[in-house]
Amino acid sequence: MMNPKSVAVIGASRDPDKVGHIILQNYVDAGFLGKLYPINNSIKPGENIIGLKAYRSVLEVKKPIDLAVIAVPAPVVPTVLEECGKAKVKSAVVISGGFAEVGEVELQNRIVEIAKKYNIAMLGPNCLGIMDPESRIDTLFLPTYKLSRPHVGGVSFVSQSGAVGSTILDLIAKEGFGLAKFISYGNAAYVDEVDLLEYLLHDKKTKVIVMYIEGIKRGKEFIEIVKKVSKVKPIIVIKGGITEEGMQAAHSHTAALAGNNEAYEAVFKQFGLVRAKDLDDLLYFAKIFSSEELPKGNRVAIITNGGGTGVLTTDAVYVNGLKLAEFSDETKKELRKVMPSIVNIRNPLDLAGDADEKRYSDALSLVSKDPNVDMLIVIVLFQTPGADSTVASKLIYFKKNIDKPMIAITVGSDYTQTHKIMMESSGLPVYDSPMAAASALAELYKYWKYKNKIV
Amino acid sequence: MQAKSLLEKYGIRSIESTYVKSEKELINFIEKVGSNVVIKAISEKALHKSKAGLVMLNISEENAASSFNSLIKKAKPYAPFKVLAQKMAEPGVEMVIGGREDDQFGKLILLGLGGIFVEAFKDFSLRVCPIERYDAEKMISELRSRDVITYNGKAEKMVVELLMKVSKMLQENEIKELDLNPIIIRQNSYDAVDLRVIE
Repeated sequence: MMNPKSVAVIGASRDPDKVGHIILQNYVDAGFLGKLYPINNSIKPGENIIGLKAYRSVLEVKKPIDLAVIAVPAPVVPTVLEECGKAKVKSAVVISGGFAEVGEVELQNRIVEIAKKYNIAMLGPNCLGIMDPESRIDTLFLPTYKLSRPHVGGVSFVSQSGAVGSTILDLIAKEGFGLAKFISYGNAAYVDEVDLLEYLLHDKKTKVIVMYIEGIKRGKEFIEIVKKVSKVKPIIVIKGGITEEGMQAAHSHTAALAGNNEAYEAVFKQFGLVRAKDLDDLLYFAKIFSSEELPKGNRVAIITNGGGTGVLTTDAVYVNGLKLAEFSDETKKELRKVMPSIVNIRNPLDLAGDADEKRYSDALSLVSKDPNVDMLIVIVLFQTPGADSTVASKLIYFKKNIDKPMIAITVGSDYTQTHKIMMESSGLPVYDSPMAAASALAELYKYWKYKNKIV
Repeated sequence: MQAKSLLEKYGIRSIESTYVKSEKELINFIEKVGSNVVIKAISEKALHKSKAGLVMLNISEENAASSFNSLIKKAKPYAPFKVLAQKMAEPGVEMVIGGREDDQFGKLILLGLGGIFVEAFKDFSLRVCPIERYDAEKMISELRSRDVITYNGKAEKMVVELLMKVSKMLQENEIKELDLNPIIIRQNSYDAVDLRVIE
């Protein structure tokens, strides 16, 4: 399903507004290198759809098909899937809605039965399907001019909801970090989050997993798989739907306090998942986890060219359960030698408003080596005279050459944004606010504690 | 008293107590424990015994008869009920240790600030059973009230042990809901004062 050599698009259409047309077009746009078979039962023999030879049914193709993308009305899906089974199609993504989500449970059960009977790995129904920028798979029915596709990277994103999934995908494309796999699994009738986590655990391209879930079907299996995964790869999770269900019948204080949402929260904490409370968090955390070494403690060094921003960042560091590092005597001595007298040798290290590339470089090379420092936050206010592209390049250089987590904070409009993109696309996570930066570092630290069983 | 023997099976001591049917039985119990006692009316209909006025403290041989009768009167609206006599616990921090069966994830275990503070502060931490020592330590460290509970290392160790025992008990028995509330934690000892088990 994830790396097919041949794909049939069932419900492919010439009408550019039809889902089946967009999916086919997207495959072509993405530069898919395998075989592509448009299927449409009202097509005449010998007809083409966007220049590709079309078929009336998968049974007419008579060649191996790894994946069928199904975008036909729900009542027709069982017939189409049955044909896929007979044509020995290995996997299917059912894009079509109109199943359990609208009460058509029986129809959904029927297609699950068919998938089981023919041993077809089936994703959906009611989903966007999958996207893999590397193997150029793209079953999304959202035109590429409307939804930007991220470049290749290490974050895999699994979403129960297509809406949340696609909007985050659009945002990821804007951020500097890339995507390994996007999987929208909809009603999870057959393949569910447990199967997907199992797959991503072994997927070499996936370094970080981001999940949007509403409900889990197999709670105990979910626990078993996240236990395995979170030891190897961080899982960032956002949970939608906080229900009060089951709380009414509580006979004890315990049941009254520990409802459904609390149970999820407990599972996330206990098994090392990183919980994002909002979509912003999701991106902030994904960004840092995809590019960072883990810290070995919670002592932060702040290097800044703006005093007040340094103060705000100090506050954010403590609010998020981290603390400021105390520079070693050696570091202080060496800093004193190279810094102008207007620079106070303390953490946060305020390089002053005229700090240039040289001053940042001197500070970074000394502070990053200090054994008392576990992580670095570098603030660059690009509005100041000395801060320009040479400073951004220097930061990128250090990011690549030090083995401690390092992130940057920049605040500002066009000129700043240009430099932000420059740094981010080179692998340095950049944040717009001290609070976002510190909370991301704090999650990194918590995950390190979890992995090392530190209370 | 089945719940009490269940706790004992897992090495969780609960405070000395007995159901009493008359003033005479109450006085006998006071003589036996050799100190003042608490009496409580136990009814399915009253989750909050102290709020409903169904708990009376400091009962001695002298005031046993009058107290017993006045408790019976107050408990009438909650009939059927039974009267539990319990040795007075020495003061300490009131905590709650509880559990419930979750449809999705199985048995859950809870640790929180207990007694009358349970609902006011909602300061608790929750895990899925079985828990490891690390989980138990994390449960304590997550509480806002952790410093009140763990004013010394001994108490903390004791709470960790308790959590491990309760987790084992929840795992091995058909328990839908469990409340040990309060369980009174002191520097070197504890008393499970009130318990509620729903099977």
